[in-house]
Amino acid sequence: MEYRVGAGTFRALNDVSFELPTHRVVGIVGETGCGKSTLGHAIPRLLPQPPAIVRSGKVVFRGVDLLRLPKWQMPSIRGTGIGMIFQEPINSLNPAFRVGDQVAEAVHIRRMRERGLDPTFRRDVQGTDYSRREMPRAGDVVSAPFVPPALVDRAKARSPPVSKELHEEVLSFLRLVRINDPERIVSLFPHELSGGMRQRIMIAMALSGKPGLLIADEPTSALDVTIQAQVLTLMKELMEEVQTSILFISHDLGVIAEMADEVGVMYAGHLIEFGPVAEIFESPRHPYTKALLRSIPNRYKSEGPLPSLAGSVPNLSRMPAGCAFHPRCPIARDVCRHDPEPPFVAAPAGPDGAVHRSACYFPEEVASLP
Amino acid sequence: MGRSKGDLVVFIGKRLLQLIPVLLGVVLITFIFTHLAVPNPCAAWAGPKATPSVIKGCEQFYGLNKPLPVQFEDYIVGLVTGNWGIDPLTHTAVLPSILAAFPATLELVLAALFLMVVVGIPLGVVAAASSGRVADHLVRIFYLSGWSTPTYIAGAVLFIWASKEFGLSGGAFSTITSPVPTITHMSVVDAILAGSPSATADALEHLVLPATALAFINMGVATRMTRTSMLETLPLEFVKTARMKGLTEFWVLYKHALRNALITTTTVLGLTTGAMISGTVVIESIFTWPGVGLYAYDAITSYDFNGTIGVVIFFAVVVVVANLIADVLYGLLDPRVEWR
Ligand SMILES: Nc1ncnc2c1ncn2[C@@H]1O[C@H](COP(=O)(O)OP(=O)(O)OP(=O)(O)O)[C@@H](O)[C@H]1O
Ligand code: SF4
Ligand SMILES: [Mg+2]
Repeated sequence: MEYRVGAGTFRALNDVSFELPTHRVVGIVGETGCGKSTLGHAIPRLLPQPPAIVRSGKVVFRGVDLLRLPKWQMPSIRGTGIGMIFQEPINSLNPAFRVGDQVAEAVHIRRMRERGLDPTFRRDVQGTDYSRREMPRAGDVVSAPFVPPALVDRAKARSPPVSKELHEEVLSFLRLVRINDPERIVSLFPHELSGGMRQRIMIAMALSGKPGLLIADEPTSALDVTIQAQVLTLMKELMEEVQTSILFISHDLGVIAEMADEVGVMYAGHLIEFGPVAEIFESPRHPYTKALLRSIPNRYKSEGPLPSLAGSVPNLSRMPAGCAFHPRCPIARDVCRHDPEPPFVAAPAGPDGAVHRSACYFPEEVASLP
Repeated sequence: MGRSKGDLVVFIGKRLLQLIPVLLGVVLITFIFTHLAVPNPCAAWAGPKATPSVIKGCEQFYGLNKPLPVQFEDYIVGLVTGNWGIDPLTHTAVLPSILAAFPATLELVLAALFLMVVVGIPLGVVAAASSGRVADHLVRIFYLSGWSTPTYIAGAVLFIWASKEFGLSGGAFSTITSPVPTITHMSVVDAILAGSPSATADALEHLVLPATALAFINMGVATRMTRTSMLETLPLEFVKTARMKGLTEFWVLYKHALRNALITTTTVLGLTTGAMISGTVVIESIFTWPGVGLYAYDAITSYDFNGTIGVVIFFAVVVVVANLIADVLYGLLDPRVEWR
């Protein structure tokens, strides 16, 4: 994945490879500008092209390589397949529509697809092996915990007009994100809501598609500290209630520790370490991860360069040869300073034998670092 | 200040009050200019062979022998009481003539506006969506060629080409075969009201050429504004949100992005409409379209100072009202705007 800037291009994502198991939360962490959002956007193919160019790679979702899909089939993946929450709640809602209508649109799209009434929805895009692997139809992934059964029954019994049903479902999703008076909120415009409320609406909207994968790109970074904590608590609670895979992006390892089952650490467009959250925290296999861990105490200030690390993130257009991290690495040797880059390989198995990979030639030495 | 209906009424009321000093200024300036340009129109009207007594009588009749300030005062009083003077050649009252001609102009401009909206805005969206690629360049060539063509050339070329090619004729009532009762003074609307398909087709046929010419010239306003504001809107995060709902690109563009881009486009179109109405002089005289523009042309070429001032004042009102409508539309389209 490259960005073309002016005459040149630079590689914003390089060799980022990981798996996201069903119903698990994978956290992605890294300093600002390391390519986290680029990764999050590359998965549902939201990157603006130009300037973005996808050179090679695969994004396999439910057995389909999204990068090989014709562009016009992508909408069939989005919403009910992959949902997304963005970094800036100020801009992520359409200022011209009432928030209730915006959520209703997402609910409507999913309902139409569930009933096979959306002519643009390509069920075959998801592959014929859909049934063979006994995967639920798009949209049914998390249906059970979502709508309180009482609501469903009442709706069926009275068989109200579709719009009424839709409205009820919108309200139920707003209640799901702990909005107390959804009847009032639905008729408001985004600018009439606080940042925290807007982000709740965004979460409700993303969840209302009942996606199999939810990408949360720093959902709390733009919020005040107290609101941040509230929204994180909400998301944590929702993770229990809503069974969906989540890619949780954050620059804050502390947040990741709370939210994720597995963690990927990114540095300058590379995935440099990936493993279960406990593994990463107890025995990091990359000096950069170690440095990140040391910066956790001041978690709400980690936007700038890491205090415990000398130097700064390399310019993506002038990457050093060999290991991208070597100019700042306390244990760098000659082999690190020359191509090829250290391979992203399974480190010697940890105590519980979980797969834990890192891109460092000397993963055993990380433990002895301060 | 808020967004309630009451706030809107107060807003409109205030803006209408602001209209008064603007109009006084317009009247004063036009009055002075017309009287300086043609100090004694009676001589011109009466012709070279007129006797001094005839000219004197004429001057007396129109009050031209009075001092200028008194003439101005008389004129203002007349203006307020609805007596905008009399056309010396046809001896018809100015205000009723303008009001009778206005619907035709409005019809022409609205037809052009309709074409600009249904052709120009989608073209702007297409251009923005394919920014920097072939479609974008083609669209820009199209609207720039309209923009840089002088009105009289675009009108004349279209007129000649269409009359040769299709035998269409421009003049509004030149070949109208089945006259229908005049109700609204809009040829198409009247024909529809009369329930006559043949008259409607005929009226449309007459409307199509001048409306197309007017729309072609002003297409750039709609297309360029739409393109520019779409280009500003498309990178915004909520467009990604719309995509992530699973909407197809068509709805992302034409519902979510265009809805926001239209806020600016509509305002600019409102302003343009005012300018188009007051700019129909050329197009109406080419196509002999019986609107205010043609009236203005006749008034100016016949030294009819009452008619000239009247038309200028009328155009000033139209422009101000169009601006007001543009502002109100802006507020209605953008929920963040408060009336003040
Ligand atoms: N549209 C673009 N054109 C050119 N370069 C871009 C574009 N978007 C991002 N980049 C560059 O790609 C790199 C990765 O950016 P990205 O937004 O993915 O970082 P991030 O990890 O999400 O940072 P943050 O924590 O600030 O959100 C940065 O160097 C950035 O400058
Ligand atoms: S490969 Fe070398 S430079 Fe890179 S992190 Fe490991 S030890 Fe440091
Ligand atoms: Mg980011």
